[in-house]
Amino acid sequence: MAEMIPLTPADQATPQAVFTGGTCKLHPQTMCPAFGALRVLARLEGAQPAMITDAGCLYGLTFVTHFYAARKSIVAPALGTAELSSGKVQEAALAAIAEAAKEQHVTVIPVISLCVAETAGLAEELLPTEIDGKPVVLVRVPAYAIHSHPEAKDIALAAVMRRFIEPTVEQEAGALTLLGEVFPADPLILDAVLRKMGGRVMTTLPGRHVDELRLAGRAKAVAALHPFYRETVGLLRERGVAVISGAPVGAEGSAAWLRAIGSALELDEDRVEQVAQEEEATARGFLTSQPLKGATIMVSGYEGNEMLYARLLIEGGAHVPYISTSIGPNMLTAADEAWLKSHGTEAVIYRKAIEDDKAAMEHWTFDLVIGTTTLAAHAKELGIPAVYYTNMLSVRPLFLAGGMIASLSFVRELMNRKPLYTRMVDFFTEPTV
Amino acid sequence: MTIQLIRDISDSSAYWGAAWVFGCFPDLHVVCDAPIGCYNLLGMAVTDYTDALPHMANLTPTAIREEDVINGTAQALVRTINDLRSLGALAGKRLVVISTAESEMISADHGQLVKQLDPEANFFWSQSLDQNEWQGRERALAFAWEHYGQPLVAPDAPPRSPKLVNIIGPSLGCFNAPADLHEVRRLIEGVGGEINLVYPYESKLADTPRLAEAAVSVVLYQEFGSGLAETLGRPQLFAPFGVFGTTQFLLELGALLGTPTAQVEAFIAREKRTTLQPVWDLWRGPQSDWFATVDCALVAGRSYVEGLQQFLGQELGMKVAWASGRPRRDDEPDNIEIRRRLHAKAPAFVFGSINEKIYLAESGARASHYIPATFPGPVVRRTTGTPFMGYAGAANIMQELVNRFYDMVFNFLPVEQVRPPAGGPPGHGGPPPPPVATPAPSAETMPWSEAAAARLNLAIEQVPFLARISASRTLRQAAEQLARNQKLDAVSLELVEEAMRQTP
Repeated sequence: MAEMIPLTPADQATPQAVFTGGTCKLHPQTMCPAFGALRVLARLEGAQPAMITDAGCLYGLTFVTHFYAARKSIVAPALGTAELSSGKVQEAALAAIAEAAKEQHVTVIPVISLCVAETAGLAEELLPTEIDGKPVVLVRVPAYAIHSHPEAKDIALAAVMRRFIEPTVEQEAGALTLLGEVFPADPLILDAVLRKMGGRVMTTLPGRHVDELRLAGRAKAVAALHPFYRETVGLLRERGVAVISGAPVGAEGSAAWLRAIGSALELDEDRVEQVAQEEEATARGFLTSQPLKGATIMVSGYEGNEMLYARLLIEGGAHVPYISTSIGPNMLTAADEAWLKSHGTEAVIYRKAIEDDKAAMEHWTFDLVIGTTTLAAHAKELGIPAVYYTNMLSVRPLFLAGGMIASLSFVRELMNRKPLYTRMVDFFTEPTV
Repeated sequence: MTIQLIRDISDSSAYWGAAWVFGCFPDLHVVCDAPIGCYNLLGMAVTDYTDALPHMANLTPTAIREEDVINGTAQALVRTINDLRSLGALAGKRLVVISTAESEMISADHGQLVKQLDPEANFFWSQSLDQNEWQGRERALAFAWEHYGQPLVAPDAPPRSPKLVNIIGPSLGCFNAPADLHEVRRLIEGVGGEINLVYPYESKLADTPRLAEAAVSVVLYQEFGSGLAETLGRPQLFAPFGVFGTTQFLLELGALLGTPTAQVEAFIAREKRTTLQPVWDLWRGPQSDWFATVDCALVAGRSYVEGLQQFLGQELGMKVAWASGRPRRDDEPDNIEIRRRLHAKAPAFVFGSINEKIYLAESGARASHYIPATFPGPVVRRTTGTPFMGYAGAANIMQELVNRFYDMVFNFLPVEQVRPPAGGPPGHGGPPPPPVATPAPSAETMPWSEAAAARLNLAIEQVPFLARISASRTLRQAAEQLARNQKLDAVSLELVEEAMRQTP
């Protein structure tokens, strides 16, 4: 590892006052909530989305879908005042569904109903459940009611899963479904470790094919790696699939997760214990160097899995006083929040706005900001090393000892880049004379 | 009433157009009466990829929630404006509140409320349900003049100087605006004009009355802006394209400005030896012969489509297979038809948006070159070096096309594949892989040995940041496919190594 640059001493970075959040929540931080649904649905092979909405919404959502989700053509009916006020929404939806059904290799037609269609009233009972044998699934994701894009991923996944999951099926002993968009190598690493314990990964959701949704009910347990899949988890729980919350991050988290998985899958306790201890030992070996010791880091994404990442940083020696996310609190977030609060985190803000994050920037002195685009830009304007959380998280493995080493090493390198940030801000900021 | 269908929409709504105009003014704050999504997409997600701005700093949403849809958005608007005031965000700024499709759905007309909250503020009913971005931009320009310009200008006031020129149109969300603006400004100054305002792109809202000071309006786009120019009542010209189109423009502008003909001709003569010299050299070289042998399709804003038809079609003699401008005329293909045509037969060059790029990818049209010429689609066009307009635009487009020709030649030349050294990174380039059947997606995760997974990770570390996900997926699929082909039920280190050798 490169030579370290001295960081802000932790005692200087800790103010006395209690952090109370921003004075207002003017600019909520999330992608358009509906994008979460498109991200999940557009990536399903053979899915032909039909979006029911106005032109501006269609433009924005199609733009981001084509950039981040899939190179997939999307159909929609033209909806103006005439159509919306004369009860033509239903007819319009049917026309779009018919156009979508013309495509080759259609596996499902998700009908994505957005703000104006929901306000006008799109009736599910008047939509077909299939057209020419192709399944049609209504997904309601008005941004005004959902609040964050991670939660819309859950709504979309649950909607299609309800349609495709096998109704009655024998559960396979030792099989685990992973739930959460993760780096493609992570499921392989988890599967390899699970096999040592006598289990295996059956599939990872949200998947890329409806067959993966069919399989989900066949696993004995589901690991909700990300804490916002409430509906999906509920759907699986109803079918007797055991639910494990949290993710295998860091030394402590990985070992605890492996034990929880072992117990849920009813694996041999001794084997599980042996693997858990091996993982923990490898991780602890790396952590003895405490690569992030002395650093104060802000974690402020809108992906809904910020707390996992913060746990990792804390185990690496960092002080993470403030974490914010776009999602709301729920049962799946409780354990991580409790762990963080007992490890030096002073504030966890749900449904955050940029005003919360900026207030936190004034409250603490950060050596690194892992934030939304807006916040990262703000931090760079102050000369603080900063990266876009989503980029940071999505390009390297995260789980178990291997993921931890990859992630923490990268974070350490980022902080060593401080002089670059300082030089840039010095150059681009007008000198005050 | 028949329902019209849209495929991969090309034009945004009037809300977007208006916000992209109002958003240019540093002394104006815009509150959009919008759910969080309409704010995020415009103010952060999309504008980051059209204009390379981290976010729009002067845009705030009322963040309509479920209860506001039922009860109306007045309370949300009052709260928003109060919060903005308490943060000091409105100090020294004007305020405009604009409606969105959703607020129009629930008839949230805040004309009177806005005046009560701030007599100086205005409400803009964007007609987002019925009008497109071009109409929204035109109406926003008219609105700015009507409320912040005209009242402060004496009727029939003459131009402050006969040399002053306004450039009207460039605003956020306009493809390639910085480069085209730079070229048009250079041309205007070249024939003796002085730039008065670049409106709204480089203006303050408070500058609006000064629009009346100029003697001539140069309107950058045919899509919008000429409405404001007409209201101003000065002679107007559209920004030019091509060698001969630009020359005509310079002669006309010189005449409007009263610049001596000799001075205009001297500028044109100098341009022939400088900016346009590469056009003349490439025309005399073998490169221009190719132009007669290939065809192109044009999908872009009206100005670009007509300008490229004139330059590529009429001046260089390239075959324009078909074209579709924005806003689209009824006799031009819509995206359903464009997609059908590109799937059936892709021209050698396709100027367009990400939509056309996707249609080409869908049909595997490897011999066709896509050139970004319009939004939607993420592309950085913030430097001054990539104009389409003017003399520099002619040279730039010609250079761009010739370089694509060179690429085409390169890709057709025979090559003997050299295997990367053992342990080399996957996905580091190389010739296009031979076509292979798409591996059937495996619904179940195939087991990987620890060594295999570790090897995959190590390999991915070598791949550039943004390419990692797809490289990892490609390699993973390739290794699993090999395992399936060999009737194995797990991926071993050897299989990963083999997949890495096979995956370019």
